[in-house]
Amino acid sequence: MELFAQIVVNGMLLGGLYGLMALGMGLVWGVLNIVNLAHGALIMLGGYAVYYLYTGAGIDPFAALPIAMLALFCFGFVLQKLLLNLIVRSALLNTLLITFGLDVVFTYLAQLAFSADFRTINPPYAGNNFSFVGLTIPVGRLAAFAVALLLAGLLWLFLERTRTGRAIRATAQNLTAARLYGVNPKTIYALTFGIGAALAGAAGGLYGVVGQITPYIGVTLTAKSFVIAILGGLDKPLGVIAGGIALGVAEALTALYIGPTYTDVIGFGLLVLVLVSRPAQIFERA
Amino acid sequence: MKNSKLTLLAVALAATFAAGSALADGNTITLGAAVQLTGALANTGRYYRDSYNFAIEQINAKGGVKVGGKQMKLSLKLLDNQSDVNLGVRQYVQLLTQDKVNFLLGPFSSNDALDDSSVAEKYQVPMVQGGGASGQIFARGYKYIFGTLPPAGDYYASTLEMLKELKPKAKTVALIAADDSFDVAVAKGTRKLVTAAGLQLVVDSQYSEHNSDFSSLLSLTKSKHPDVILWSGHEPEALNFIRQAKSLAVSPTLMYSFTVGVPTADFRKALGKDAEYAFGMTPWLPNAALKDEWFGDAAAFAKQYQQKFGYAPDYHAASGVADVEAFAKAIEAAGSLDPAKVRDALAKVDFNSLYGRVKFAANGQIAMPQTVIQIQDGQVVPIYSDKFLNKPRYPLPAWTKR
Repeated sequence: MELFAQIVVNGMLLGGLYGLMALGMGLVWGVLNIVNLAHGALIMLGGYAVYYLYTGAGIDPFAALPIAMLALFCFGFVLQKLLLNLIVRSALLNTLLITFGLDVVFTYLAQLAFSADFRTINPPYAGNNFSFVGLTIPVGRLAAFAVALLLAGLLWLFLERTRTGRAIRATAQNLTAARLYGVNPKTIYALTFGIGAALAGAAGGLYGVVGQITPYIGVTLTAKSFVIAILGGLDKPLGVIAGGIALGVAEALTALYIGPTYTDVIGFGLLVLVLVSRPAQIFERA
Repeated sequence: MKNSKLTLLAVALAATFAAGSALADGNTITLGAAVQLTGALANTGRYYRDSYNFAIEQINAKGGVKVGGKQMKLSLKLLDNQSDVNLGVRQYVQLLTQDKVNFLLGPFSSNDALDDSSVAEKYQVPMVQGGGASGQIFARGYKYIFGTLPPAGDYYASTLEMLKELKPKAKTVALIAADDSFDVAVAKGTRKLVTAAGLQLVVDSQYSEHNSDFSSLLSLTKSKHPDVILWSGHEPEALNFIRQAKSLAVSPTLMYSFTVGVPTADFRKALGKDAEYAFGMTPWLPNAALKDEWFGDAAAFAKQYQQKFGYAPDYHAASGVADVEAFAKAIEAAGSLDPAKVRDALAKVDFNSLYGRVKFAANGQIAMPQTVIQIQDGQVVPIYSDKFLNKPRYPLPAWTKR
């Protein structure tokens, strides 16, 4: 029983981080209708940003997260305004192609700039853990989980309660009506993509604390974010976090009771299940 | 006007042909290889790029290779397989059919060597690889593949022998291995060794090579309280495993050992203090007693390599050098560049090099003992080969007591 509880807790903590990774991808997909295949590369770049802030300037990784988020926000904003705006209302295939190309470019530029060596963000408290009702809770993962929930909550508040947030949701629901109300789609799109990139950056920094960063982590993380974004309903932040936690727990239980080599089967199996049972909701967004 | 243009064109074309034939002079032996220069395994692939280049440079500097009566130079045609096994296979076919290299050097990793060696066998051109240890590579009756890494199934032999002599005595073992060719071979061999040593296997788990989350496996292992954890995988997974073990407070009672990663400098750099007490193994250490015809000895080689490339060589690099030297020796013994003759000469080579004694068994794989090593105070310390070389730090203290 204790083992089961420990596994569930492990899965939840990791799942929170997965959910954060997917937040940005879901937001961009829901609002701009862009499936960003370079999302994992943005996570990777955020990870490197926090890594260099930590090892170069000695800033604690959690304190460096806002700086990295800001940097990635600006990067995403400019990227969308100059490049992705060109294809924002064209066929889905174009967005897939261009974001795939960006993924390749970012990955290989990162390899040139940072080399293929593994980078770990290892603040002294990262490996600590504490006991709680007989379960071992790792500090690093708990902190990542807490940050993920916080950012998801902030995103939800932003989308629900602020004027800009309402403008973003309006643009996603009905572009013509939004324009009639004075919303400038180009700015909204750039802003949304920037926020998505900032969230990816935060996820990358946290990923560096619990795992390690190389230029090649992007592809797997994009795939995971893809699954979770769909599970969670794309641009609904709390749903995406819930989707992430669900996937995390499902993977952890699979690893224990079926076998660790089946975790990907479960992930994509869940995706198929969701698409089969709620296709209408997904297709009207996508 | 038209005439002079035509003449100019004709002269240019003639010059190109002349230059072309000057390049293809009969004095170079080309070795071809597709190695991981980018992609997930690039971190280890670079050892092969640098060691192949260094060995060829050194052999050429000392006069090259004598073929029949002629001195010839070696050259390298290196392609980047981007850590993609399928691309690597296509590249080896290209090296043989388009680039027409004389002989082949291998990639890193057993998965790649397993498929790439089939190309060598099909085209009947010998390949000497120093990156794949899995017995699967050599179990198919192929004649054209040779390997300088000792069999994966035996990796833990010296470790288990060492455990017999240490007190307190180990009783239970947790075996955790990945699902790729190398690790499957290690697991298969290790199960037999553990049973033969009279130890009980309390955990026997396989994980997916691309999955970086060990939390379920670690929690399961913790619940079984093993004395020893024998772990098999590649470097990125080893790093993940140790960091996650620390964060979940999972520690074997007596010791843990990892097949790959422990000898390399960036393993210690990435883990810092958490790398302490980890056991590992290596078939090679930069020992001045290992004499070499071209480099002097292993210690001198290590020093020059570090100066030249900016990072310390480990057994991957030494293995790469041994591959090139094996070709040099075999080509000289065969006295020709005919692939079949060089293949037969390779089967018979027996010489001492900075890597150790290079001699291939009937199935093409080298036999070499693994020296058990341990990380102590940030250094790689050789502990046991067939007797104790240094004192091990045993048993392993719990994470909170380190």
